Amino acid sequence: MKSLHSAQFIVSQSIDSDAIFTLLQHEFSLHETDHTRLKCHYLDTFDWRMYQKNYVCSWYQTANKRAKNREGIFFIHEKETGNSICELPLSRVPKFSKDINHQAYRSMLDNILGIRALMTVAVLTVKRRQLIILDEEHKTLALLQLEQYTIDESADDDQPAGRLIVCPVRGYPKVFKRVVQLVTEQLKLPHSREALLDEVLTVTGKRPDTCKLTGFQELESSFSTWEAVRILLQHLFSVMQANEYGLREAIDTEFLHDYRVAVRRIRSILGQIKHVFPDKLLAYFKREFSWLGTVTTPTRDLDMYLLKFDGYIQALPDDLQQHLEMFRLFLQRHWKIEHARLCRALDSKRYQKLTSEWQKILANADMPLQREMSTGSQAQETCNAAEPARIVARQRIWKLYKRILKEGGSITPQSHDEDLHELRKSCKKFRYLIEFFQDYYVGKSMKQLLKTLKQLQDNLGDFQDLCVQIEQLNGFAEQMQQEGLADTKTIMAMGVLVERLNERKTALRAEFRRQFESFIQPEKKAVFVEALRVQQHEGVTE
Amino acid sequence: MKIVACYNVKGGIGKTAAAVNLAFLAAHEGARTLVWDLDPQGAASFYFRIKPKVKKGSKGLLTGKKTLEDVVKGTDYPNLDLIPADFSYRNLDLQLDEVKKSDTRIQKLLKPLASEYDFIFLDCPPSISLVSENTLIAADAVIVPTIPTTLSLRTLDQIVEFCNKLNIDHTKIITFFSMMDNRKKLHKQIVENPPQHVRVLDASIPYASDVERMGVYRQPVPVFAGNSRAAKAYRALWEEIKSVLH
Repeated sequence: MKSLHSAQFIVSQSIDSDAIFTLLQHEFSLHETDHTRLKCHYLDTFDWRMYQKNYVCSWYQTANKRAKNREGIFFIHEKETGNSICELPLSRVPKFSKDINHQAYRSMLDNILGIRALMTVAVLTVKRRQLIILDEEHKTLALLQLEQYTIDESADDDQPAGRLIVCPVRGYPKVFKRVVQLVTEQLKLPHSREALLDEVLTVTGKRPDTCKLTGFQELESSFSTWEAVRILLQHLFSVMQANEYGLREAIDTEFLHDYRVAVRRIRSILGQIKHVFPDKLLAYFKREFSWLGTVTTPTRDLDMYLLKFDGYIQALPDDLQQHLEMFRLFLQRHWKIEHARLCRALDSKRYQKLTSEWQKILANADMPLQREMSTGSQAQETCNAAEPARIVARQRIWKLYKRILKEGGSITPQSHDEDLHELRKSCKKFRYLIEFFQDYYVGKSMKQLLKTLKQLQDNLGDFQDLCVQIEQLNGFAEQMQQEGLADTKTIMAMGVLVERLNERKTALRAEFRRQFESFIQPEKKAVFVEALRVQQHEGVTE
Repeated sequence: MKIVACYNVKGGIGKTAAAVNLAFLAAHEGARTLVWDLDPQGAASFYFRIKPKVKKGSKGLLTGKKTLEDVVKGTDYPNLDLIPADFSYRNLDLQLDEVKKSDTRIQKLLKPLASEYDFIFLDCPPSISLVSENTLIAADAVIVPTIPTTLSLRTLDQIVEFCNKLNIDHTKIITFFSMMDNRKKLHKQIVENPPQHVRVLDASIPYASDVERMGVYRQPVPVFAGNSRAAKAYRALWEEIKSVLH
């Protein structure tokens, strides 16, 4: 619906509705409503997707717990203009786009949120007094809302200033303009220059800063390998920590996913950047981060099944679709068990020890260098720590590139599925290293490389996922029978699903060769070689 | 965007009340909704307390001097707008007759509003005319309130015949029983044996004073009598119409 901009003014405590009433009553017929107290929940995703798109999401409900109508209203406003995009009655705070019934708004949210959940980023108590400007038929021509705000969990003296909001009604612009003119000229109220959400975030000290979660700090070319590795590992550990709350609370599946990616990347650095950590320490961290990967896998696998579930249903003939529902129930039931197990692992002494040891190591800027001095063998163990990071990383990347060429080149239609999995792992390590040390290479050629690599990785990743799913589905069917959750039709539906997945797997396998050949095209290879080439004099110990 | 025309050849059978209440319920659920009061009597505009006046009148709209967007008025309810009636609409038939492609002109006028609204309700004047023909062509569904009496059923047949004559898909026609009085035997008999050649909805609107009181309150029934029989009946009717439209 075409909306006009509302006008918002900052009001001091001394201005009350009487002053506004007195000002407007000479020209307009007015109706004043009682005070209402509302709870406003500002909503956004963990990574501020709505805010980034210049939208403000909120859910309002009366703060009067004895009120008859406690139905809430969900709003989407444009942040800069305050224009209302959507106003929907909603009984509870929405979490995902699917919680919105309205098709157009659901699809708008779906495009922005993806699979991320909306979370409450601030809660505000709004004390509102409303003045309605009426014509002789008692039709509303404009609305004035005088609001005072209290942020929950914020000190009394540290609250946003009150506001007077003049809301136009479509088709009555003259009234709106006149009211704005009177308020500006007679009451001399200043216009608010900032969205209320921004003011609330300033007061609460929250900033919608996503850079710290997505981007790495720039690596200087003079950095030693340890200096660079330490920065990367610190960043990845902070990503782990930032996602821990969300994965424990199961806010959405991306928390666990991002947590696992951070763990995998840490493992990749530990495994790929050799001779930086002393052997004993390296073995400990490799083992413990591998354990962390393992304990998070079952929940992630079940997340994946549940995320793909609607697609599974669509893949089945109509008459079998309803029979897969028991499988969903089975997955949900096991998800709860596995998630509880994961939370226990995160509460364990083993995990606490790992995180505290890890923090100790990362806090110590010179640790590997000090060890280097102690004995001959330890000096050998950490001999790359003081070497320039750009050389050590480049050499390793080059080696991985050659490994990918070798592994991929040897794959034939008769090769085992495991061979593709090995190649997939090599590609992943290669990709991570390029991303970690991207500051050391010319951007454009690397971007080309990453684009082609991504397509190859998608093919290998989907193929591997299908291999695992097909194997697990057969196991699940047996388990469901044991748990009394599967009748013949359900087993039949799962059997058909396995068939469909097998068809897709065969198609992906056929597609692999084309993707790989695109990756190793001579001209692309030349670009990579140029970008990755290690100079003769830059040789370091591998 | 779905266009829903509330239409009947007869007057005073709850057409405007249906358009106003159904539009209110749609908007209350969050759907972006518009009512176009095409009846020069301006009853829908009256219910929304909006003056039945359109700048430059129907001629302004048909000649393109004004677009529908220019004359939309916000009602007192979120998500609900109105294009008011205008006295000039009494000549809309004649004016339509003077323009090219006269039977699809209303459809053309509504087209630019497609992205702005989820539902547009047309409150049609009670007649068989070029305006009716336009609204029947433009609408995705034609809601025909019908009093369960013999004469009203005869009118329903005439509407179906009118559609057939104009080659308009008569499956668009959806009827419901309006002003249904359970005390009357004939009403009950007709409701129990509804006509088979046209879609008749299960929900019906009772003969209730709350519907008449809309004129006193100048509000949709769910606003001033949310738990009344009439409000519940309109809710049931809207649920059924939604399922037909999807």
